[in-house]
Amino acid sequence: MPLTHLNARGEAAMVDVGDKPTTQREAVASGRIVMQPATLALLSDGKLPKGDVLATARIAGIQAAKRTHELIPLCHALALTKVTVDFDLNWQESCVEVSALCRLSGQTGVEMEALTAVSVACLTLYDMCKAVDKGMCIETIQLDSKRGGQRGDYRREHAPAVSAENEQSVQGAEVPSVHVKFLAELRERVGDSEFMVPLKQLEQGDIAGVKRALQAQDARFSVLNEKRTLCAINQVMANDAAPVTDGDEVAFFPPVTGG
Amino acid sequence: MELRVSIQTAPFDMAHGYASVLDERTDIGAVVSFTGLVRDFNETPDVIGLTLEHYPGMTERTLEAIGREAGERWALNAVTIVHRVGELAPGDPIVRVLVASAHRRDAFLACDFIMDYLKTQAPFWKKERSAQGDYWVKERDSDQQDAGRWS
Repeated sequence: MPLTHLNARGEAAMVDVGDKPTTQREAVASGRIVMQPATLALLSDGKLPKGDVLATARIAGIQAAKRTHELIPLCHALALTKVTVDFDLNWQESCVEVSALCRLSGQTGVEMEALTAVSVACLTLYDMCKAVDKGMCIETIQLDSKRGGQRGDYRREHAPAVSAENEQSVQGAEVPSVHVKFLAELRERVGDSEFMVPLKQLEQGDIAGVKRALQAQDARFSVLNEKRTLCAINQVMANDAAPVTDGDEVAFFPPVTGG
Repeated sequence: MELRVSIQTAPFDMAHGYASVLDERTDIGAVVSFTGLVRDFNETPDVIGLTLEHYPGMTERTLEAIGREAGERWALNAVTIVHRVGELAPGDPIVRVLVASAHRRDAFLACDFIMDYLKTQAPFWKKERSAQGDYWVKERDSDQQDAGRWS
């Protein structure tokens, strides 16, 4: 695939998006900043010298998303409809996990805005905490997913875990597949909780394709035709048109009844 | 906003969560709490217990998203959501939501919102036991209508 930001002579060029159709675009990016456990505790307790660290980093991330075109040479100025920046304190790995979502109804994608929001939120976290911890490390700033646009949807596959146990299971699953789970009442009606469905069995690479492949195997999967049956991909609600890729966890379940 | 989510088999008492929500702060002006209990009548008149199943991972993620959305809609200081899973008996507390804010209206509305979304989005399923046998609890249209009030 050619790089769209280069012209025929290999020079940098801004893409004319005037002819592209307007669609709903969304991108999610993430990153993290690893710090000393004591720094994380100070941050959590609001006891760092510069004050409310997360609130400041959130505003910085949102402002940065809006100004991405001023930082990245060939980016268009976009009228974002939504920007959120969220933080999770991960005590096990002593880091702050940062994620950003950008949304737009327009003619070009918003992944650079989401990545910029994460980057600047991480830099602001560093600035707010550096008085007590200069060894902090900003890591794994990456695009997690994007929706909308001509190139279609993208979702990052989970990075393979590094433990020996997991390496074996990754090697064991040589055939690209999706991992299908049935939960609650559907598990009882199907009679089993987990199935592997090889991608090559799918006529189309989406949830509708997974349903059809299962139904072609056995009549017990007719529960998938019921309108009330719900679906999640990698633990996020999804519909029949949602694309699936190798390693995805696809769960089918009835309407929820908690509370 | 401080957001805490817990999925647990362990029981909790009626005071659960207040101390961590207040956290010795003096900027909180209101705390609203909701506690859901297991009834001894539901789809049958003589429920003797229930089993709560959930989808580990997605449950936590969903409840955190609901809590965060509440924090975007109203000015909140803290949200705590606790939900039990496993075996429960009539009278047992099953879910607890605590919302702290500077002024009461935000906390009342956010608590109501969180429960409506929890009941229609969080992946929990109840299987009730009764003298007539066990059965999966059916979803209710009224829960969907309640959740629709916020869109």
